[in-house]
Parts: sequence; C-alpha cells; structure tokens
Amino acid sequence: MKNEIAGTFYDAIVIGSGMTGGWAAKELTEAGLKTLVLEAGRPIVPEQDYVEHVPAWEMKFRGLGDRQKNLSDQPIQSLCYACDEWSAKFFVSDKDNPYTQTPGKPFRWIRGRQVGGRSIMWARQSYRWSDLDFEANLHDGNGSDWPIRYADLAPWYEHVEDFVGISGEALGLPQLPDSHFLPPMQFTCAEKVVREAIAKHFGGERVLTIGRSAVLTQSHNGRAACHYCGPCERGCITRSYFSSVNATLPAAEKTGRLTLRPYSVVHSLMFDAATRRVTGVRVIDATPNPKVSEKARPVLEFRGRIVFLCASALESVRILFNSATPEFPNGLANSSGELGRNLMDHLMGAGARGTIAGNEDRIELGRRPNGIYIPRFRNVKTRQPEFVRGYGFQGGGYREGWQRGIEQSGFGPEFKKAISRPGPWRFELYGFGECLPNRNNFVELDKQTTDIWGVPVLKISCAWGENEMAIRKDMTITAAEMLAAAGARDIEVFVEDNPPGFAIHEMGTARMGRDPRTSVLNPNNQAHDVKNLFISDGGCMVSSSCVNPSLTYMALTARACDHAISELKKNNL
Amino acid sequence: MQRREAIKILATGTILQLASPGMMALMREARAVAASPSAPRTLSAHQFETVKAMAEMIIPRTDTPGATDVGTADFIDLILTEWYDEPDRSRFLTGLHEVDTHCQALFVKDLVEASAAQRAEVLTALGEKTEELMEQKRDHAQPPDAPPDQSEPFYRMFRRLTLTAYYTSEDGATKELNFEIIPERHDFCAEIQPAPARQENQ
Repeated sequence: MKNEIAGTFYDAIVIGSGMTGGWAAKELTEAGLKTLVLEAGRPIVPEQDYVEHVPAWEMKFRGLGDRQKNLSDQPIQSLCYACDEWSAKFFVSDKDNPYTQTPGKPFRWIRGRQVGGRSIMWARQSYRWSDLDFEANLHDGNGSDWPIRYADLAPWYEHVEDFVGISGEALGLPQLPDSHFLPPMQFTCAEKVVREAIAKHFGGERVLTIGRSAVLTQSHNGRAACHYCGPCERGCITRSYFSSVNATLPAAEKTGRLTLRPYSVVHSLMFDAATRRVTGVRVIDATPNPKVSEKARPVLEFRGRIVFLCASALESVRILFNSATPEFPNGLANSSGELGRNLMDHLMGAGARGTIAGNEDRIELGRRPNGIYIPRFRNVKTRQPEFVRGYGFQGGGYREGWQRGIEQSGFGPEFKKAISRPGPWRFELYGFGECLPNRNNFVELDKQTTDIWGVPVLKISCAWGENEMAIRKDMTITAAEMLAAAGARDIEVFVEDNPPGFAIHEMGTARMGRDPRTSVLNPNNQAHDVKNLFISDGGCMVSSSCVNPSLTYMALTARACDHAISELKKNNL
Repeated sequence: MQRREAIKILATGTILQLASPGMMALMREARAVAASPSAPRTLSAHQFETVKAMAEMIIPRTDTPGATDVGTADFIDLILTEWYDEPDRSRFLTGLHEVDTHCQALFVKDLVEASAAQRAEVLTALGEKTEELMEQKRDHAQPPDAPPDQSEPFYRMFRRLTLTAYYTSEDGATKELNFEIIPERHDFCAEIQPAPARQENQ
C-alpha cells in the first residue's frame, strides 16, 4: 500500500483528544507550537450532541436502554453505569473495536472514541496524590520506585486546577493534599448525620468530606456554574464540568495553532533508525464513506517534530506494538521489555449500605452530580497486617425514589401517594482500592484479531491478586462499622465481583523510571529509547494510588509538555 | 441563580435543546404517533386490556393522571416486542395468562370483566404469591458456583414496567413527582414545602 503524505509539517502531533490529549493541545499551542491533534472518532458539537436535558419521556425505552442493540453492539460498554440510553453514543461499538482476553481472566475495557474521548463521560472526581503514594513502591517493594515525588508535581496540580476548577473542602490531610478549591458542594441530610458520627467515633482518623469534583460551583474561566440537572455523562451545555471539549480544546483553538483532525485512526508511528527519532504518524482515514470499505481506507502520513501519545494506557501501547521495527521487534521504545506490563486498575465496588433514620421532613432539591468521599485511613499512621496500601470510599446519602415500589405489593391510590413521596434516607459506602503493580498483568498484540479498520487488537491478561482481595474484604468491614456508628438500620454489606478494567482507571503499561532497563519513560514522560516521543496518559503510571487518577494525568501532561517545550528550545529533540 | 444562567445560555445557543418550538412540536407529534391506538404488536387485544386494567389498579387516576392516561400498556407492548428476549417474554405472557386462570377459579370470569373489588383480590393474592416466591429464591441453597437466578417473577416484571412507564412519563414525572429538568433551586437538605394546590385544568 502506498501511503500519502498529508498536510504540512507540524511542531507537535498529539494522539488522542481526551483528558490528556486536550491538555497537551492547550499547553503546546499556547507555547507557540503548531499542533496537530489526531482523534480516532467523530467530532462532537455540544449544541447537537449533548443530551443532558432530554427527559426520559422523549426516549424510546424511557431510559432502560436499547437492550437488543446493547447485546449485539455494546455488550461490554453497556455494563457501565454511564453508558445509558442517552450516552451510549459516547461509547465505542464493541463489535467494531474488539479485544481478546486470557481465558479465566476477564477484563472490562470501557472506551470512548470521539473528540473529547472519555472526558465527556468521566465521573469528574479529582484528587491529588501524596508522597504516601509516590513512595509506596519504594517502601513495600512492589513494582519499581517512582522517579518523581509530590514536590515535583505540586506546582503542576495547581496549574491544572486553576484552569479546570475543582470544588471541594480543604482538610489538611497529609495523605490527600488539598487542591486549589472552588467552594464545596453541600451535603445531604443523611451525609451530615454520618459525617458527624464518623468524626465522633473514629477520632479524626476517618473523615467524611464532600467529593472533590471537576464541576464548577461558581462561574470560572468563562464557564458557568453547575445548575444541578444531574446527568453529566450526557454532556453539559453550560460547560460546567471539565472535559477537553468544554475547556482545553477551545483554549487550544483560540491560539490559532491547533489543527484537530477527527476520524483519524492512528495505525502506528514512523521511526527513523538513523536519527533515533519518530518522524510522524500513520493514520487510517476513517471519515464516513459508504463507498470504501473500512479495511481499504487510504493511509495518510503526518510529520512532526515531537509526538505525544495521549490515547489511553491501552491504546497508546497498542500503537507502539503496531510500530515495531527491526530494532524494536516487541514494540517501539520497548528495549526494557516493560511495555504493556504492570497493567493496573482500581479495585472497585465493595462496601455497605444502610438506612439512616430521621430527617423525614427534608428532601434533596436538585440533582447533585457528586457524592461523598472518605479518604484512605488504612496504612496511613498505623500498619495494617493483612495488606499493604489502602482504599477510599465514595458514596452518599439520598432519599429512595419510586423504584422501591417495584418490590412492594401495594396498589391503588394510597400506594401511589406513598411511593410518589421520597422514601427513607439510604446511605452507601462504595470502596475504591489500590491495585499493586504486577509484571504478570499485561497486554500483548493479538495478531489474529483485527478491528474494523484491520488494525491488530490487544489481548489482555489481568487479574486481581491477594492484596486486592484482602483490601476488598476490609472495605466491607470498615464500611459496615461506620454505618453502625452512625446508627444505620438494615445494614447490608456487598461485594461486587467487578473484574479489572471496570473502574475505568486502567494505567501503568508504559511506566516511568530512572533506569532505561526497567522502565519505558524517563521522569519527564519521555521515552528512554526515542527522545521526541512522550506518553502522558495513564500508561506512564508506576503505581495506582487509590484515588481517581485523571487530575494526576492532567498534571503529568502539563509537566511533560513544559519539559518538551524547553527541550525543543534547546534543540535537544 | 444557576438556573437562570443555564436558561440564558440555552436561549442564546444556536440549537436549543429544550425550547425550540419546531423541535418540541416534532417531539409531540412523535409522541402522538407512538401513543396512538395502533394495534399492539405482541399483546392480543384481550391481553392488552388485561395489562391496562392491572396497571390502572396499581397506579389509578387520582387528582393526578394514572397508568392508563400515560399509555402504560403501549409501553409494556413495546418492551415485550423490542426489549425482552424470548424467556422474558414467555414468562411474562404465561404470568399474564395465569392472572385470568386465577380470576376464573375465584369468580368465573376474566380479570377485565371482574369488579374493582374482585381485581383487588386477585392482585393481593398475586402480591402474596410473589413475595413467597422471592423468599424461596433467597433461601434456596445454591451450589456456590451456580450463576444466580436473575429471572424476575411475572408480577415483579409487571410492576417494574408499570412504575417505569408511569414515573418516566411526562405527566408522571412533572405532575406526580414535580420533576424539573433544570431545578428551580438546589438544596440537598431542604425542608419540605407544603405542596402547592394542584391545578386540574392545566
């Protein structure tokens, strides 16, 4: 196949337009670089594509989703709570985008291919890491040591927070540093009850705070405050939550130096063995065209001085595997053999629920797109014998709705009146636990299987280990303990048997490190083997912490861009 | 304040999600077509009337609309036709048939011909039977590796569909639950205000 050289020569090419691609686009264009952003999926026009204000009665299945279509096109994606009848269009077709798994090791890979990527449907929880996280590998010997510490990243957290806008409550906790906060969202009545009980019974070791969320509680950088309509995962016409579409891409656009190219499926990178640099990107033109089959599409070549991989931990690695050269037969920039290894996610979905008596004369007005957070308290000051690392709880207190009537047997006017009123205050604690880095959790190329464009797919081999199982057990105990302390009734513990991937925090497949023999990236997200190649998505992570990772990815991306820009100025790239 | 700001932004947008009169008219038309008494696709005429009668028993018209007013039987027919798979569909239709069998045994007539009091008796019995069934399911010792039995008994399916059809309808959501797409104000621990007098003719 003869490739076509397309477009002009760019200063920078960014692959992916989501959480980190948007940041790379903003930072690089604002520094004066002519930047091409390649996005595999379709463009997004908020005024047409956002559907958060479309009520259930306008939907064919009233919000139940198109079950038969889900089963045939999105059997994996539709398992995700956010992939509902409204927002299913923001998730990939599993049919067109397959991946394979090692038998007995299920992995749920939840993906978005459109401008904005998964930043459109993310859950917006935003937390800083601390040195408890950055030093964890060093202290307990799992994985390899992070080449950076909190002090290296702190200014970059500030930098991104001041642009993003994070609402939350400052606590001064060493294990969960405060962000530059906008005013916090309010608690519900039940949350106030549980917060006070935890403060009283757990002596400051455990704290219940409001979720730290990339949702604006006041207007910020030209974006409006949240109006509490509820379902952020369907879009936000007022741009009140952060996404690349709502914030970073418009900022990059404003510089006049951004070229955003949707429908650009990156096949591989081009490597020049003489200069030891990537010279550009091979792109399959995926522009809708019923006359040309997906597997016969032209391949375009785009050239640039530097390349930023921001396609997600798994897609970026897939591109590097597909970019193998004689020198790098196991994937470009993989002299260490660590590419694709140490895949992590968060262990999600164990905890407890209960009913909180009182406050029956009070209700929630508006739909708060945020819950509560209980920061990690295990292995912070004291040592837990059963496991290393720790976990945090998300969740919240809310009044039950009409759905409770399904399981009742009543009927008639009195029944109707009763279930139309808010039910009891319920409270749920839902754990998110740290996952250890493990070389045996890895991805490789499955050359027998290709996607709709003919690109070989990933085979994923990943399973929880003993430490994660011990964490999961502890989540149920401490959650029930806290609910009991708050006087909850009908406490039930639960364990969702979620396979890895389902927290949608997959990371670690191209880890950073000081030593090129044991890591893919240097401390500045720059490939050890290929100096003008950067990976700043979740792939770079060396450990997983237990907090939601997007804020850290954003800060790492901004920091990596700053390094790339200064190296370009010194002519080192 | 946020609400006003949101509405302002919506009003100045190029394509309006809420307020575009053309779009709203189109949607109303689509709804009218969907709600028009075209023949049900899965339910027979008799089954359709039975579903309608049962749903209206559960959510009757009071000072607010009821199950029939919002087209609950049409929604259930849609789910039976396009959403359920074959085991769900046949479990539902078998259960629906058994309602008549039970009604016949008690009163020598089908549910649609029964009086309100007789219908209530049938539903009460159905509720008790379903609760027993759920209890058995919970208590029944399963081998640890057996997949959980997630099949819902008929009456649970029926109630799920009826309540969903009602509370996600425009009338059910806005008149019964006072649902606002953009909330007038937000306060997550707010005192309940006395309900405003309902205006029948709105």
